[in-house]
Amino acid sequence: MAALPRGLTYNGIPLWRHTKVIQWVLQVVSGLLVVSLVAWFFINISRAIRDRDIPYGFSFLSREYQTPIGQHFLPYNESSDTFLYAFGVAATNTVVVSIVGVILATALGIFVGVSRMSSNWIVSRAALAYVEFFRNVPLLIQLFFWFYIVLTLPPVREGHIIAGRIFINNGGISVPWPYATSLDSGLLFIGLAAVAVFAGLSVYKALGRRETATGASSYPLASGIATAVIVAAAAWLAVSVAFGESPFFISTPEAQGIFGRPAGGFTASGGLIALLTGLVIYTSSFIAEIVRAGIQSVGRGQTEAARSLGLTYMNTLRNVTFPQALRVIIPPLISQCLNLTKNSSLAAAIGYTDLFNVGVTMTQTAPAVSIFMLLMLAYLAMSLTYSVIGNVYNRLIRFA
Amino acid sequence: MLGWVHANLFSTRFNTVLTVISCALLAVVLWYGLRWFIMDSDWTVIGTLGGRLIMGPYNTEGACPGQNCFWRPQVALLLVIMLLGMGWAVAGGGLMKRYAIGIVAALAAFSLLPYSLDTMGMDVRVLLLANIPALSLGWFLGRSTPLGSARWLAILAVGTFGVTLILLRGVEGVPGMQPVSVNHWGGLMLNLLLAVAGITLSFPIGVALALGRRGNLPVVKLLCVLFIEIFRGVPLITLLFMSATLVPLAFPRDFPVNSLMRAGIVITLFSSAYMAENIRGGLQALHRGQTEAAQSLGLQTWQTTMFITLPQAIRNVIPAIVGQFISLFKDTTLVFIIGMQDILTYSRAFIQGNPEFIASAHELFIFLAIVFWIFTYSMSHISRRIELHLGVGRR
Repeated sequence: MAALPRGLTYNGIPLWRHTKVIQWVLQVVSGLLVVSLVAWFFINISRAIRDRDIPYGFSFLSREYQTPIGQHFLPYNESSDTFLYAFGVAATNTVVVSIVGVILATALGIFVGVSRMSSNWIVSRAALAYVEFFRNVPLLIQLFFWFYIVLTLPPVREGHIIAGRIFINNGGISVPWPYATSLDSGLLFIGLAAVAVFAGLSVYKALGRRETATGASSYPLASGIATAVIVAAAAWLAVSVAFGESPFFISTPEAQGIFGRPAGGFTASGGLIALLTGLVIYTSSFIAEIVRAGIQSVGRGQTEAARSLGLTYMNTLRNVTFPQALRVIIPPLISQCLNLTKNSSLAAAIGYTDLFNVGVTMTQTAPAVSIFMLLMLAYLAMSLTYSVIGNVYNRLIRFA
Repeated sequence: MLGWVHANLFSTRFNTVLTVISCALLAVVLWYGLRWFIMDSDWTVIGTLGGRLIMGPYNTEGACPGQNCFWRPQVALLLVIMLLGMGWAVAGGGLMKRYAIGIVAALAAFSLLPYSLDTMGMDVRVLLLANIPALSLGWFLGRSTPLGSARWLAILAVGTFGVTLILLRGVEGVPGMQPVSVNHWGGLMLNLLLAVAGITLSFPIGVALALGRRGNLPVVKLLCVLFIEIFRGVPLITLLFMSATLVPLAFPRDFPVNSLMRAGIVITLFSSAYMAENIRGGLQALHRGQTEAAQSLGLQTWQTTMFITLPQAIRNVIPAIVGQFISLFKDTTLVFIIGMQDILTYSRAFIQGNPEFIASAHELFIFLAIVFWIFTYSMSHISRRIELHLGVGRR
């Protein structure tokens, strides 16, 4: 301050031009604005609830739902099960579609993405046409298209029956399916099967390392699969002897009644088939582009170096290109998986009973406000799970 | 020729096998596809729906009792085409010219559709043909009046959108301009209206959210993150359905929010959350040196953002932004959940209401898919051309 000329005093930056002050005022004002807007909404909603006698609260969750759920993967009894349980059944339906859809879409997407990079002109053009068409057409149109294909199949009585085991008609497709004989033995076997898979993976990893280290052929893949199969077979025998029954049996659909409606096995309804087909094809066209971008992001030098070391084309792709491309591929891939899960809510348009569809049906007999809170929470939880899985995996491959 | 075939189809043994397999597959697909197309398909359903695909229930007796309202969307279309002509004059040919001529040629060709004069009157045909003089007039205005500048074009575009809404909505008491409830707006018109409004509004909101999330104000940052993550974490149709059930409760009873506005607002907010993430990606990819150079030149924070970082960030993520525009356009089909009759909902309702057409469902959906594909593919084509023009990846 001493350096200031005489007659001038420095009083600091004026308040209205002080960056810190401006920033804090801005923040407080914007925060207050948003808070008061939200508060206004809540006051209005609570007033509307009071004035118009709109039901609210969560006591309905323990009431019986008493509405059928078309397709369900958990056992469901409409006359005795509660809203909460029905909500869980519906959430399971969404999760099943999400998991199966993600696996199939990723596989198909990688296939199309690699085809797109093929040096074969026909293959790469076909992949390009696939991507450009399915990516650019609204999912809902595609869903309707597949749905009407199932819908215009012949009715049950004139439906196709393949080998007496697979029924195809406008009610959907029925196929033979394994079911657990009893809960205990089934669960025990599933646990042991997981151990078998883990054992197989460990053997595969260990032998693979040995092959890389010593160069001696160790057949990691064959040994791994053999280990898994042997352990699983042993587990099957052990469980069968211990419980006096085989843990799973195969249920085959059979025509029953005057209409010949198939009973037993597993029946995928038209809605489920259309939803999975549409979601998988739509999402795979996005994944194909992600895979292509990832592979292209690996420098040419990497491939050339690998080839000049004598690695085969497939070996280069598997051991050099793909591991590096994964770093670029994983983050957008996770967001596509999340999109698939959210898009599965379009099931409401084609009559598959997913979370959203059941939620909307519930609003007819239960408070809509509460149901929407539950729906939002459920979807946010799923998004969170996906991003956590994605971030963890991302960290794993980054520091591997 | 032979060399090309050898290099691209039969270069290795594996490649040859691939060629043979894919040719066989293609042949099977083409054989069945063509046989279906020539022998079994029946496209009369599209002719039966005709103009209703474009306008939905807008010109029906329920929407517009006692008079013809078709001219109102058509006049709005004329205004848009005029704007297109001005754009052509301002841009000076190139892509704009090709698209303008293509669109107007298609519209003029529609006037020659082989409908009887009872189904498609002379007035409809004349108004369609009038797009040719409208384009020329716009081009003339853009070429030889002071209106032909980018700034005026932007102002006129906003004005045209407003006039379009007024034309479609109608004015109480003016003859021929009988009000039409937004519940009767439909068809492709509705999809385009929602898409245009959504695209125009979600972009600035997205930019603001991205800047807020990147900024150093903790409260603003928290609010932006909350907004973005909540809107991105929930399916759009959940939000749309909520807008139909919950939003009317959240406002006072006499608050004027109709279903069209609700749909527009929800789609815009949903899209702006994604837009914000795209733009944030572009901002993150920008080198620090840009900001530092701007600061050392003495630019203020807002100047640095507006003139240095934001333009470069946006230029770098054009494909992602246009991809978001495309998905917004595709998402306009989801308004079925709140009972609005967009092109898809209207078509499906038509099939369900007329069982004799149920066998033609596939033809109808394939046709709709192609219609949407034309729009979305043009959008990505334009985006690629803009990128080329701006020299993305070369500078």
